[in-house]
Amino acid sequence: MRHDPTFWLLARASGITAYVMLTLSVLAGLVLKSRPFSGLKPAAVTDLHRVLAMLGLGALAGHAVALVLDSTVHVSVAGLFVPGLVSYRPVWTSLGILAAELMVLVYVSFSLRKRIGTRNWRRLHWVTYGIFGAATVHGIGAGTDTSRPWVFGIYAGAVAAVAAATAWRALVPPVPARARRPIQRRGEQTA
Amino acid sequence: MSTYRIEIDRSLCSGFGSCVDAAPAHFTLDGSGAAHALVAETDDERALLAAASCPMGAIAVFEAAPSSQVA
Repeated sequence: MRHDPTFWLLARASGITAYVMLTLSVLAGLVLKSRPFSGLKPAAVTDLHRVLAMLGLGALAGHAVALVLDSTVHVSVAGLFVPGLVSYRPVWTSLGILAAELMVLVYVSFSLRKRIGTRNWRRLHWVTYGIFGAATVHGIGAGTDTSRPWVFGIYAGAVAAVAAATAWRALVPPVPARARRPIQRRGEQTA
Repeated sequence: MSTYRIEIDRSLCSGFGSCVDAAPAHFTLDGSGAAHALVAETDDERALLAAASCPMGAIAVFEAAPSSQVA
Protein backbone atom coordinates (compact mmCIF):
# COMPACT_ATOMS: atom_id res chain seq x y z
CA MET A 1 0.00 0.00 0.00
CA ARG A 2 1.35 3.43 -0.89
CA HIS A 3 1.47 5.69 2.08
CA ASP A 4 -0.26 9.03 2.03
CA PRO A 5 2.37 11.64 1.06
CA THR A 6 0.42 14.63 2.42
CA PHE A 7 2.35 15.04 5.65
CA TRP A 8 5.67 14.37 3.97
CA LEU A 9 4.96 17.16 1.49
CA LEU A 10 3.81 19.44 4.30
CA ALA A 11 6.92 18.65 6.34
CA ARG A 12 9.19 19.64 3.48
CA ALA A 13 7.24 22.73 2.49
CA SER A 14 6.94 23.99 6.08
CA GLY A 15 10.65 23.37 6.69
CA ILE A 16 11.61 25.49 3.69
CA THR A 17 9.05 28.14 4.67
CA ALA A 18 10.41 28.30 8.23
CA TYR A 19 13.93 28.73 6.86
CA VAL A 20 12.86 31.53 4.52
CA MET A 21 11.00 33.33 7.34
CA LEU A 22 13.98 32.96 9.67
CA THR A 23 16.27 34.37 6.98
CA LEU A 24 13.98 37.33 6.29
CA SER A 25 13.66 38.03 10.01
CA VAL A 26 17.45 37.97 10.41
CA LEU A 27 17.78 40.34 7.44
CA ALA A 28 15.17 42.70 8.89
CA GLY A 29 17.06 42.65 12.20
CA LEU A 30 20.36 43.41 10.50
CA VAL A 31 18.81 46.19 8.42
CA LEU A 32 17.35 47.62 11.61
CA LYS A 33 20.79 47.71 13.18
CA SER A 34 22.78 49.10 10.32
CA ARG A 35 20.14 51.20 8.50
CA PRO A 36 21.32 50.91 4.92
CA PHE A 37 18.00 52.32 3.71
CA SER A 38 17.38 55.70 5.27
CA GLY A 39 13.73 55.83 4.21
CA LEU A 40 12.64 52.92 6.40
CA LYS A 41 10.91 53.68 9.70
CA PRO A 42 12.75 51.80 12.46
CA ALA A 43 9.55 50.99 14.35
CA ALA A 44 8.05 49.40 11.23
CA VAL A 45 11.18 47.34 10.60
CA THR A 46 11.16 46.22 14.24
CA ASP A 47 7.56 45.07 13.86
CA LEU A 48 8.40 43.29 10.62
CA HIS A 49 11.40 41.62 12.28
CA ARG A 50 9.20 40.22 15.04
CA VAL A 51 6.32 39.22 12.79
CA LEU A 52 8.67 37.34 10.45
CA ALA A 53 10.20 35.52 13.43
CA MET A 54 6.72 34.61 14.64
CA LEU A 55 5.72 33.35 11.18
CA GLY A 56 8.94 31.35 11.11
CA LEU A 57 8.07 29.74 14.43
CA GLY A 58 4.58 28.99 13.14
CA ALA A 59 6.02 27.24 10.09
CA LEU A 60 8.45 25.46 12.41
CA ALA A 61 5.55 24.14 14.49
CA GLY A 62 3.91 22.90 11.27
CA HIS A 63 7.22 21.25 10.28
CA ALA A 64 7.38 19.45 13.65
CA VAL A 65 3.75 18.26 13.62
CA ALA A 66 3.95 17.11 9.99
CA LEU A 67 7.12 15.11 10.68
CA VAL A 68 5.44 13.25 13.55
CA LEU A 69 2.30 12.52 11.51
CA ASP A 70 4.23 11.46 8.43
CA SER A 71 5.53 7.91 8.06
CA THR A 72 8.35 8.45 5.55
CA VAL A 73 10.81 9.27 8.30
CA HIS A 74 10.05 8.08 11.82
CA VAL A 75 9.98 10.95 14.27
CA SER A 76 8.44 10.52 17.71
CA VAL A 77 7.17 13.42 19.82
CA ALA A 78 10.19 13.00 22.12
CA GLY A 79 12.38 12.95 19.04
CA LEU A 80 11.21 16.47 18.20
CA PHE A 81 12.66 17.86 21.40
CA VAL A 82 15.65 15.67 22.21
CA PRO A 83 18.51 15.78 19.70
CA GLY A 84 19.76 12.35 18.68
CA LEU A 85 16.54 10.35 18.90
CA VAL A 86 15.79 10.51 15.18
CA SER A 87 17.59 7.79 13.24
CA TYR A 88 17.25 9.62 9.90
CA ARG A 89 20.47 11.60 9.33
CA PRO A 90 20.90 12.07 13.10
CA VAL A 91 23.55 14.80 12.98
CA TRP A 92 21.61 17.03 10.58
CA THR A 93 18.26 16.48 12.31
CA SER A 94 19.84 17.17 15.72
CA LEU A 95 21.19 20.47 14.39
CA GLY A 96 17.67 21.36 13.28
CA ILE A 97 16.25 20.59 16.73
CA LEU A 98 18.95 22.67 18.38
CA ALA A 99 18.33 25.58 16.01
CA ALA A 100 14.57 25.39 16.63
CA GLU A 101 14.93 25.34 20.42
CA LEU A 102 17.34 28.27 20.39
CA MET A 103 14.98 30.15 18.06
CA VAL A 104 12.15 29.72 20.56
CA LEU A 105 14.49 30.86 23.34
CA VAL A 106 15.53 34.03 21.49
CA TYR A 107 11.93 34.78 20.55
CA VAL A 108 10.64 34.32 24.09
CA SER A 109 13.51 36.37 25.50
CA PHE A 110 11.95 39.48 23.99
CA SER A 111 9.08 39.26 26.48
CA LEU A 112 11.52 38.53 29.30
CA ARG A 113 13.96 41.30 28.52
CA LYS A 114 12.93 43.40 31.51
CA ARG A 115 13.53 40.44 33.81
CA ILE A 116 16.84 39.30 32.31
CA GLY A 117 18.03 42.83 31.53
CA THR A 118 18.17 44.45 28.14
CA ARG A 119 21.93 43.93 27.91
CA ASN A 120 21.64 40.17 28.42
CA TRP A 121 18.69 40.10 26.04
CA ARG A 122 20.78 41.69 23.31
CA ARG A 123 23.72 39.38 24.07
CA LEU A 124 21.38 36.43 23.67
CA HIS A 125 20.46 37.78 20.26
CA TRP A 126 23.99 36.95 19.03
CA VAL A 127 22.93 33.29 19.25
CA THR A 128 20.86 34.01 16.14
CA TYR A 129 23.97 33.74 13.97
CA GLY A 130 24.42 30.20 15.30
CA ILE A 131 20.73 29.47 14.75
CA PHE A 132 20.95 30.64 11.16
CA GLY A 133 24.09 28.57 10.54
CA ALA A 134 22.61 25.46 12.17
CA ALA A 135 19.32 25.87 10.29
CA THR A 136 21.19 26.22 6.99
CA VAL A 137 23.29 23.11 7.59
CA HIS A 138 20.20 21.25 8.81
CA GLY A 139 18.26 22.17 5.69
CA ILE A 140 21.05 21.28 3.30
CA GLY A 141 22.00 18.08 5.14
CA ALA A 142 18.61 16.71 6.21
CA GLY A 143 16.41 18.19 3.51
CA THR A 144 15.50 15.89 0.66
CA ASP A 145 15.03 18.78 -1.76
CA THR A 146 18.54 20.22 -1.56
CA SER A 147 19.45 18.87 -4.98
CA ARG A 148 16.65 20.82 -6.62
CA PRO A 149 18.22 23.96 -8.09
CA TRP A 150 15.59 26.34 -6.69
CA VAL A 151 15.92 24.94 -3.17
CA PHE A 152 19.69 25.06 -3.31
CA GLY A 153 19.28 28.57 -4.66
CA ILE A 154 17.31 29.51 -1.53
CA TYR A 155 20.13 28.32 0.72
CA ALA A 156 22.81 30.02 -1.36
CA GLY A 157 20.79 33.23 -1.60
CA ALA A 158 20.01 33.24 2.12
CA VAL A 159 23.65 32.74 3.11
CA ALA A 160 24.82 35.38 0.65
CA ALA A 161 22.20 37.90 1.82
CA VAL A 162 22.89 37.37 5.53
CA ALA A 163 26.65 37.50 4.93
CA ALA A 164 26.29 40.73 2.98
CA ALA A 165 24.02 42.32 5.60
CA THR A 166 26.39 41.23 8.36
CA ALA A 167 29.37 42.67 6.51
CA TRP A 168 27.46 45.92 6.07
CA ARG A 169 26.69 46.00 9.75
CA ALA A 170 30.31 45.31 10.67
CA LEU A 171 31.95 47.67 8.21
CA VAL A 172 29.61 50.65 7.99
CA PRO A 173 29.54 52.76 11.16
CA PRO A 174 26.09 52.90 12.81
CA VAL A 175 26.15 56.66 13.25
CA PRO A 176 24.70 58.56 10.38
CA ALA A 177 27.56 60.70 9.19
CA ARG A 178 26.32 64.23 9.00
CA ALA A 179 26.72 64.29 5.26
CA ARG A 180 24.75 61.07 4.91
CA ARG A 181 21.85 61.89 7.17
CA PRO A 182 21.61 65.40 8.49
CA ILE A 183 20.55 65.96 12.06
CA GLN A 184 16.94 66.91 12.38
CA ARG A 185 16.45 70.54 13.11
CA ARG A 186 13.73 72.16 15.08
CA GLY A 187 10.40 71.99 13.27
CA GLU A 188 11.52 69.28 10.85
CA GLN A 189 10.36 66.31 12.82
CA THR A 190 7.17 64.83 11.45
CA ALA A 191 6.43 61.98 13.86
CA MET B 1 30.93 71.94 18.07
CA SER B 2 27.18 71.87 18.28
CA THR B 3 24.79 71.65 21.13
CA TYR B 4 22.16 68.95 20.77
CA ARG B 5 18.73 68.80 22.30
CA ILE B 6 17.44 65.30 23.07
CA GLU B 7 13.78 64.38 22.76
CA ILE B 8 12.35 60.93 23.42
CA ASP B 9 8.98 59.84 22.13
CA ARG B 10 8.03 57.63 25.02
CA SER B 11 4.99 56.29 23.22
CA LEU B 12 7.40 54.71 20.72
CA CYS B 13 10.02 53.56 23.26
CA SER B 14 9.97 49.81 23.86
CA GLY B 15 12.78 49.77 26.38
CA PHE B 16 15.43 48.04 24.28
CA GLY B 17 18.10 49.96 26.18
CA SER B 18 20.41 50.46 23.22
CA CYS B 19 20.54 54.20 23.96
CA VAL B 20 21.80 53.47 27.48
CA ASP B 21 24.61 51.38 26.02
CA ALA B 22 25.50 54.01 23.46
CA ALA B 23 25.38 56.99 25.83
CA PRO B 24 25.09 55.94 29.49
CA ALA B 25 25.62 59.50 30.69
CA HIS B 26 22.64 60.74 28.72
CA PHE B 27 20.02 58.00 28.90
CA THR B 28 18.59 55.63 31.48
CA LEU B 29 15.69 53.22 31.62
CA ASP B 30 13.18 54.23 34.28
CA GLY B 31 11.11 51.94 36.47
CA SER B 32 8.59 51.25 33.74
CA GLY B 33 11.40 50.26 31.38
CA ALA B 34 11.11 53.27 29.12
CA ALA B 35 14.05 55.46 28.18
CA HIS B 36 14.55 58.73 29.96
CA ALA B 37 16.99 61.49 29.04
CA LEU B 38 19.32 62.42 31.90
CA VAL B 39 20.21 65.72 30.27
CA ALA B 40 18.11 67.94 28.07
CA GLU B 41 21.03 69.25 26.07
CA THR B 42 24.53 68.07 25.38
CA ASP B 43 27.40 68.65 23.04
CA ASP B 44 28.40 64.99 23.21
CA GLU B 45 28.14 63.23 19.85
CA ARG B 46 27.24 60.01 21.67
CA ALA B 47 23.71 61.38 21.78
CA LEU B 48 23.67 60.94 17.99
CA LEU B 49 24.92 57.36 18.36
CA ALA B 50 22.13 56.66 20.84
CA ALA B 51 19.48 58.08 18.51
CA ALA B 52 20.87 56.05 15.61
CA SER B 53 20.89 52.86 17.68
CA CYS B 54 17.23 53.06 18.78
CA PRO B 55 15.31 50.20 17.15
CA MET B 56 12.07 52.16 17.39
CA GLY B 57 13.38 55.50 16.17
CA ALA B 58 12.05 57.02 19.38
CA ILE B 59 14.95 59.39 19.98
CA ALA B 60 15.21 62.65 18.10
CA VAL B 61 18.24 64.88 18.36
CA PHE B 62 17.92 68.50 17.39
CA GLU B 63 20.70 70.92 16.80
CA ALA B 64 19.99 73.48 19.50
CA ALA B 65 22.89 75.80 18.84
CA PRO B 66 24.59 75.37 15.53
CA SER B 67 28.16 76.44 15.52
CA SER B 68 29.25 79.14 13.19
CA GLN B 69 32.56 80.79 12.88
CA VAL B 70 32.43 84.28 14.30
CA ALA B 71 36.05 85.28 14.02
